[in-house]
Amino acid sequence: MDRPRHARSLILGVAVALFMTACGGTGAEQGGETAAPEATGATGTESAAAADSEAGGEGEADVEELLAEGTLSGYDALPFTDILPMEEGPIEVEGETPDLVIGFSQTCFNHPWRVAMLESVQAEVERHPNVDVVTLDGNCDIVKQTNDVDDLLARGVDAIVMSPVESDGLVPAANRAVAAGVPLVVLDRDVFTDKSLFIGQSNVTMAYGVAQEMVEALDGEGMIVEITGLVGSSPAIDRSKGLAMALEEAPGIEMLTTGDGEWIREPAVALMDDWLVRYPEIDAVFSHAEESSWGAQLAISRAGRCEDGILHFTHDGSAAGFTSVSEGQFQADGNYSPFIGDIGVRAALMLLQGQEIPDAEPYDQPGQYLQLPDLPPVTPENAEEWMPRGWGDFDPPADPCA
Amino acid sequence: MTDTAAERTDAVPTGTASTGGGSGEFLRKWGVLVALILLLVVSATMSDRFLSLPNLLNVLRQIAIVGVLAIGMTFVIITAGIDLSAGSVLAVAAVVTADMVNSNGPLAAVLVAVLVGAGLGLVNGLGVTLGGVQPFIMTLGMLAFARGLAFLYTGGQPIPTTDETFLAIGNGRLFGIPNPALIFLALLVAAYFVLRHTTFGRAVYAVGSNDEAARLSGISVRRVRTTVYVISGATAGIAGLLYASQLGVGTPIAGEAFELDAIAATVVGGTSLFGGQGTVFGTFLGAAILGVLSNILNLTGVNPFVQRLFRGALIVAAVMLQRKDARGR
Repeated sequence: MDRPRHARSLILGVAVALFMTACGGTGAEQGGETAAPEATGATGTESAAAADSEAGGEGEADVEELLAEGTLSGYDALPFTDILPMEEGPIEVEGETPDLVIGFSQTCFNHPWRVAMLESVQAEVERHPNVDVVTLDGNCDIVKQTNDVDDLLARGVDAIVMSPVESDGLVPAANRAVAAGVPLVVLDRDVFTDKSLFIGQSNVTMAYGVAQEMVEALDGEGMIVEITGLVGSSPAIDRSKGLAMALEEAPGIEMLTTGDGEWIREPAVALMDDWLVRYPEIDAVFSHAEESSWGAQLAISRAGRCEDGILHFTHDGSAAGFTSVSEGQFQADGNYSPFIGDIGVRAALMLLQGQEIPDAEPYDQPGQYLQLPDLPPVTPENAEEWMPRGWGDFDPPADPCA
Repeated sequence: MTDTAAERTDAVPTGTASTGGGSGEFLRKWGVLVALILLLVVSATMSDRFLSLPNLLNVLRQIAIVGVLAIGMTFVIITAGIDLSAGSVLAVAAVVTADMVNSNGPLAAVLVAVLVGAGLGLVNGLGVTLGGVQPFIMTLGMLAFARGLAFLYTGGQPIPTTDETFLAIGNGRLFGIPNPALIFLALLVAAYFVLRHTTFGRAVYAVGSNDEAARLSGISVRRVRTTVYVISGATAGIAGLLYASQLGVGTPIAGEAFELDAIAATVVGGTSLFGGQGTVFGTFLGAAILGVLSNILNLTGVNPFVQRLFRGALIVAAVMLQRKDARGR
């Protein structure tokens, strides 16, 4: 842990002081400056003025601070540099090298997966001296992100790359970008309207790949439980779909039950507690998220069921998850990489250059779709190789069964 | 348990308690307990594993975090206030305590969790009393603000901890009972004592029943109001500590919407949102009802979509049961 602890305590203190005295964060203290926009940002009820200030210097300072904690060990560590490959150096548009600004509107900064996506954006931008990026935090709020896109347009950015909070809610903002003639590249979660390009991975086929690892490890026979991501969220729906596809081909595997792990650790503990009481035999856990998996492992150990040898298959692709795979806590980890921001930047630059995007195809929504190939599930065999390429700068919990 | 009945009448100085009698009065007082017993009986018939000791201990541990939040919430709601920030304060405490245990060891972490929670609670309390902001709005502001602090403090990353002493707080057992459950029960006893047997406790009820009358009878209404938010903050701090030590991680998204579960437990337990009425024993029953429900739905494999329906319906039904009888028929 190399966090500047004193600075952090200071931030906390300064932020509380700011709140109590209700004055602006204009102090010379660096902590104060960063405290104000983030804290207001989290209310989700921001005024346009606050959004503007975030688009200014303070917001960018935030991004730098976030990225300073990143783990990306260099451009070559990015998993998708072979998709729309691009030479390092200035970007030429019609024989000139104009200053280009790309606006990046992120869902929110509140999850390391999202922060990692910012890292990959930054990594690509840094390779091109005449390209700059403005990054905004959508606060997981449709209204905020809509304002962000409008602010980017008002600033006159050359292209917008966004990862929307919600597919439907961002349609009007996306339409305004398209109407303004600004290339719009959408990452990870689609916007159901005309855009230049949607770039995404498939949670269905990725989960199918992980489920196949499970079927193989169980020799096609066994009883499993499923811990989903937040019920109703599209990645959870898709990961369940992938599992169902694999189970259709594996009649020997019985799915005992399914429950909502909400992507996080705490609900999974209670689910697994209860299932271990209910089922004398569970052969494997299929979980949509590493966090939930760590919670379930805790419940397994507390119930004294470590010797049962319950296998564990999960998703997310964090560096910590890969570590848990290499230590044997998980048998496979679906590698849903956040490091796709660089592809978005390259696509935006290519569009600005007037190039066609190779492999982008029309699909059942307006615009074009570039489907990324699935990265291989991370298993004990390839965990070492992938550990430096997972997202997030945190350690996994120790194996409670070790 | 007869004490709770006594408390309702002698701790509510302005007579807002129902004056109804007969079976209505009985159900008003004991409705929550009856509901819990019914639920236990139904659960036992639905799953033969339900009544096993490991399962019951699981339930007790599962309700501990929200239960601890609900204890503080009970104080606040008795004064006719509300604390919407409890889940966010939990998150701040969880991330700070996880960070602190890594740098300064478990004892410091425990103290800091409680202090951070109490400190944010103090801000709530002062905002309500000196700032004149309505509790709903003050704590709604803190809900967002404290969550922002948690994100800011961590940069959005979870802070894991592997300190064994610290993890033992959340995962160890004493006499076979999980520590979080013991801490929850100990806090219940302490809160019961404070509400039932101290001048402060009586003042809490008095302020909630009629703060003007309380003021005229010499109670410092502001101090009492401020203190209940500090208590709620402190219990949120303890809950954050339990969260981090059970899960081995302080994450800024910890405890989202837990305040709503705590409010549900408190209200199901018979505490009135209008103030002046309520007991922590009721809150324990309320938390137990919600915990048992969730447990039996998992044990019987009810679809997660449907689980939410049950939960919502049960909250309303449990409160209606008491309300109907409060009319005294």
